[in-house]
Parts: sequence; structure tokens; C-alpha cells
Amino acid sequence: MVRYQGGSLEAFQEIYAQLAAAVRRYLSHLAGGSEIADDLLQETFLQMHRSRAAYNPAYAVRPWVFGLARNVFLMNRRAARRWAKIHESREDLPEFPVLPEADRLGSQDEIRRCIAHLAPDQVEALLLHHEWGFSFEEIAGMLGISAAAARARASRGMADLRVALNSLQRARA
Amino acid sequence: MIDQSSNNQPQALKPPEALMRAIAHDLKPVRPSPQPLHLALRMVPLALLVSSVILLAIGPRQDSGILGPLLTWGASAAQFVLAIALVWIAAHEGIPAGRLPRQMVYSAAVAAFLVVVSITLLTFSTSPGTAALRVPPQINELLRVSPWIMGFGCGIGSTLAGGILVLFFSGVFRNSLATQPTVAGALYGAGAGLAINAGWRIACPFSTPWHALGAHGAAIIATAILGALIGRFLGNRRFHI
Repeated sequence: MVRYQGGSLEAFQEIYAQLAAAVRRYLSHLAGGSEIADDLLQETFLQMHRSRAAYNPAYAVRPWVFGLARNVFLMNRRAARRWAKIHESREDLPEFPVLPEADRLGSQDEIRRCIAHLAPDQVEALLLHHEWGFSFEEIAGMLGISAAAARARASRGMADLRVALNSLQRARA
Repeated sequence: MIDQSSNNQPQALKPPEALMRAIAHDLKPVRPSPQPLHLALRMVPLALLVSSVILLAIGPRQDSGILGPLLTWGASAAQFVLAIALVWIAAHEGIPAGRLPRQMVYSAAVAAFLVVVSITLLTFSTSPGTAALRVPPQINELLRVSPWIMGFGCGIGSTLAGGILVLFFSGVFRNSLATQPTVAGALYGAGAGLAINAGWRIACPFSTPWHALGAHGAAIIATAILGALIGRFLGNRRFHI
């Protein structure tokens, strides 16, 4: 990032190559659809370019870019006033990644269904930690909450997911 | 782990042509932003200067001997430190991965309110009378008969001084990436208002709570609102809202 701030195009390409796929999946999760995720991804990297001076090397690049992506998504949502629409689309949401920890608890379809019914703040903390590997301190900085709250959201989300999966499987049996 | 959204995507994506063109078009080197604490500390000299203008113009209140150095200068110093703390929190708000917990933001706002009210009440209980200003006697007589004039003077004067600081802060925060730019703007606006009031309260001879809270407090609220409006405008412009 420091090389990129110094004017290196190759450094930008490296950052894009390393982060774009993961950021796209995160945006896809936030927006509940992959069509808008591509636009948001480009907007995120365009904003990163415009704001490259706002980056301080004391911060890790990955959470900074993820935080910026979240920022772009929220601003886009505010602008488009599509929140209600996005929320509705979560009912048949296909975009949630399946957590490695949850993989053995049920089928992918069951897990997606159950995750879609968890509280959105729990899902976000759960995925940021388990799927994208951020520490609770990094999640706290991205969401504007304490590290303890981030940990609590993620663990409550995982507990609720287990309960939902168990009851789903019991109902099927 | 299966992710349908990424099934068709290679693991390392290449930036689209249009994006690369936009990036390549403007690749001039930039200086990294300072850390929030350094950014807040950079504001101190100008904030001190603007908040001391009124003191340099009419001098400290004549009852400062009764109030003592702690309530005259110490209380203002505490207010000034709190003002810089608000700017520091606003700087954190502008970093995508560096936001502080909401509770801390709310606590700082509540602390600012409590500090202003406590200092007002302490000042009034220590020296409830109205000292004369260091101005011609006719003006002092006019202010004694119509104290609301002083209320307007303090309210408008400190709002204008706070407005100057808010504009300066807005210039520094123009690249802020706050998720809630209105909140970030309100924070540095309140910081500007508090910093100005720290100097203004030492010069103003009126101790009554209605004056201190009605005129000086209203000026702090006005600068916070101005900061919020500017923050929102800058945020909307950045994200094309």
C-alpha cells in the first residue's frame, strides 16, 4: 500500500489481485446479490484510489479495504434507498458463504437457509471472523463496536446457527 | 467451504480496463494520512489561536480573582482537552478499519454536555454577580439594563468563531471515509464549539446559567449542527449521493 501511495500501478494491481475476490464475496453477502456486488467492487477500488492518501500505514490493509467496501455498500444503500428490497431478497438468498465450522452440521442448502434467518449483525460478525479470518479487534474497528461485542455477536451467531440447524434436522427426521 | 458467488470467479481477479484507466490517469504520489491522535494534535495551535482572540480583545473577566485559577483557567483547559478528544474521535470515525465503539462516541458527547453544565453551575455558585466588561462605561450600562444584548453577542460571536474552526476542520477532514459522515462532522463541530467556548467563557463576565447555557451552549450546538451538515455534504459528494 505504501508503494501504491508512492505512485506504483503494479502495487495497485497486486492489492487488487490479493483482495478483490474476497472483497467481492463480502460485498455479495452485504448486498444479497452478485449483480450489484461487481459494481460495488469497482466503486470500492475507485474510492480506495481516490482516498489512498487517507490510508495510514499503521493500519493493516485488508481490514481497511473491507471497511471501505462496507462503507461503499452503506452509502450506496443510502443513495439508492434499496434497503427494503435487499432485505426482502434475503429470503431466498443464495450468496452466503458456508462456514468451514458449520460444514459438517448440515447440507449447504440447510446452512444457507439458517444463516439467512439469523440477525444480520450476528451474520456479519460470524462471517468476518470465520469466513474471512479477521480478528475481533479488526472487526471491532470495521463495525464501530468493541472487540468483546464483536466476539459476542460471532459466538451468538454460531450458537443460533447450531440451534437452527438442529431444529431443522429434527423436523426433517 | 463452498461459495456460489465465487464459483465463476478466478481466485486472483484482474482489475477491469475502465478501472485501470482511471487509476493510471491519476497516479501522483500522495503523503499518507497521519494517525488520528496526530491529526487531532495538529488542530491545537489554530484552535488555541481562534479561541483566544476574544481574550486578547477584551481580556479575562474581572471576577477571575474570585473564581480562582482552577475555575478560570483549569476549567477552560479541561474543556479544551475534551474538544480535542472529540476531534480525535471524529478522526477515528473517518478510518474504515479504525472506528471506535459506539459507546465511546456517545460517552464523549455526554461528557461534553456534563462538563459544560458543571462548569456553568460551579462558576455561577462561586461568582453569581455580573462583573463589568473592559469596555466604555456606557456599554457596560447598556448591557446591565439589557442583558439579552450580551446573550446575542456571545451567541453570535462564538458561533462565528466556531464556524471558522469548523471550516478549517472540514478542510482537514475532507478525505474522511466515515461511514456516518454526519456523526463525524457533528463530533468535530462540537469539538470546535467547545474549544471556542473554552476561551470565550474566560472573557464573558456573565455567570448566570441562562446566559452561559442559552448563549454559549447554543453556540456549541450550532457549531455541532454546522459540522454535521458539512460532514454530510462532503460524505454525499464523495459517494455521489
